[in-house]
Amino acid sequence: MNAKNAHSSSFRDPSGYVFVDNGDIKRVINPIYFKQYKALTESGFYSTLFKNSILIPHTELSNSADEIIIKAEKIPFITYPYEWSFNMYKEAALLTLKLQKYSLEHGFSLKDASAFNVTFHKGKAIFIDTLSFDFYKENSPWRAYKQFITHFFGPLRLASYHGSQQLKLLSNFIDGVPVKMISSMLPTKTKLSPLLYANIHLLAKLEDKHNEDYKGEAKAASLSKKGQLNIIQSLYDYIKKLELKEQSEWGKYYNKTNYTDVAFVQKSEIINHWVKSIQPNSLIDIGGNDGTFVRKLNDEIKTALVCDIDNNAVDFNHKSMKQNKEQFMLPFVLDVLNPSAAIGLNNTERDSFLNRIKDFAPDVTLALAVIHHMSLSGNVPFSQSAKFFSGFSKHLIIEFPKRNDSWVQRLLNNKADFKDHFDFYNIDNFIAEYSKVFEIVEEKEIKESNRVIFLLKTKS
Amino acid sequence: MHFLYFDPGLGAMIIQAIIAAVAGVVLFSKNLMYKIKLFLGISKPIEDDVFDDIEIKDSDIENKKSSER
Repeated sequence: MNAKNAHSSSFRDPSGYVFVDNGDIKRVINPIYFKQYKALTESGFYSTLFKNSILIPHTELSNSADEIIIKAEKIPFITYPYEWSFNMYKEAALLTLKLQKYSLEHGFSLKDASAFNVTFHKGKAIFIDTLSFDFYKENSPWRAYKQFITHFFGPLRLASYHGSQQLKLLSNFIDGVPVKMISSMLPTKTKLSPLLYANIHLLAKLEDKHNEDYKGEAKAASLSKKGQLNIIQSLYDYIKKLELKEQSEWGKYYNKTNYTDVAFVQKSEIINHWVKSIQPNSLIDIGGNDGTFVRKLNDEIKTALVCDIDNNAVDFNHKSMKQNKEQFMLPFVLDVLNPSAAIGLNNTERDSFLNRIKDFAPDVTLALAVIHHMSLSGNVPFSQSAKFFSGFSKHLIIEFPKRNDSWVQRLLNNKADFKDHFDFYNIDNFIAEYSKVFEIVEEKEIKESNRVIFLLKTKS
Repeated sequence: MHFLYFDPGLGAMIIQAIIAAVAGVVLFSKNLMYKIKLFLGISKPIEDDVFDDIEIKDSDIENKKSSER
């Protein structure tokens, strides 16, 4: 069906498909979608969305009777819904609703509301499925409504009750969390909320009832445009107010560390100096907390990925990014011990973190205050963490807290009887193992602390 | 032309009329409460909001206006 080599995530929609051509992201539009595409282009619908950074901009490359080819602006690094913090997820949900409202007001309607249609680019959530719009048919309900509930509203509502871990559900339920499951996981008191009762519990009930309707006997439903706008507005207001109940621990982090002001300033100076010598376009800060150290860099960096396992830290980074209107920052949630896997059809629909970061190939990786967590909490041998860090970028700036560091002591004490099993954790072993894959360019002690910081370069 | 490549859920299509009615009532009452609170002076101003309003600016004129500000 697809003449060109279609991207492995692009097979569901018959309107067209995405393919990668020499690193460029291009999209073939099939004749079945010509009418819509023409209307969207000529009415200025697309261009308004481009101007407002709602939809990824594209330019038309060719136009024939068989196919139209467009080229989309390239997004350097795609993050998936299960890598977003709570407020990032919220932003994506609100964007989708905003887009549906705008579409309705201009005679269109989103034909799907998948969370995978949104990603983060230049400090904002952006819609990336250019062919998601169809003509609005008067009095027809929103076809993507259920998808919106199972991809966005359900997971967000669950997260606000049970914690941010719920947002990872989409990595298992690539096509949305089943409504019945959402309904069963919400506290009983939510049945008293008219909005939650209608959008989730009643929906689950009705879906269940109509599941058996194989003959398609149920009559077609109708819904006025005003009615649909009411649904969208009410969901928008509700989601905008949603908050996580989790205690925010991030703020105390930099007070909890054993850094004196002198050490903190010195550490940041060393990093700045090294980064300057590398002159990177892109970087990744693994365990980057709320992005503090990346913001302290003097050099201009085009794209800085800052990931952390702590949803709250990422959330705080996201908030700072929004308030400072930063375009280079891309925060996301990542567990180094279990990075996002490749999922979906043929295990290629959504790429693994490792594949994406290898493609992105950041010029430098920062790993500040993570090695002791990997080694001591995660029991990861130095050889294994070295293998991980050497896999995607040429330079590595890594901080090593020595055995007598208070954090290290704390982690070791948690091991109780097994403390002796962690005798390997010392700077000599670290250097020995890391030297196998890296060349040590520079090594500096941080004053007033028990930490050493290294600038490493991969061999070969 | 309609081509449906995923299951919109039959129940979800039928139920939207009910949800819309609920949403209408909720919106109306929230709006009313807001006005009452505003009148009584107990409505809190929204502080450091990082999320925009639901509206997307339509015309060029509006965009120009906002960039001039």
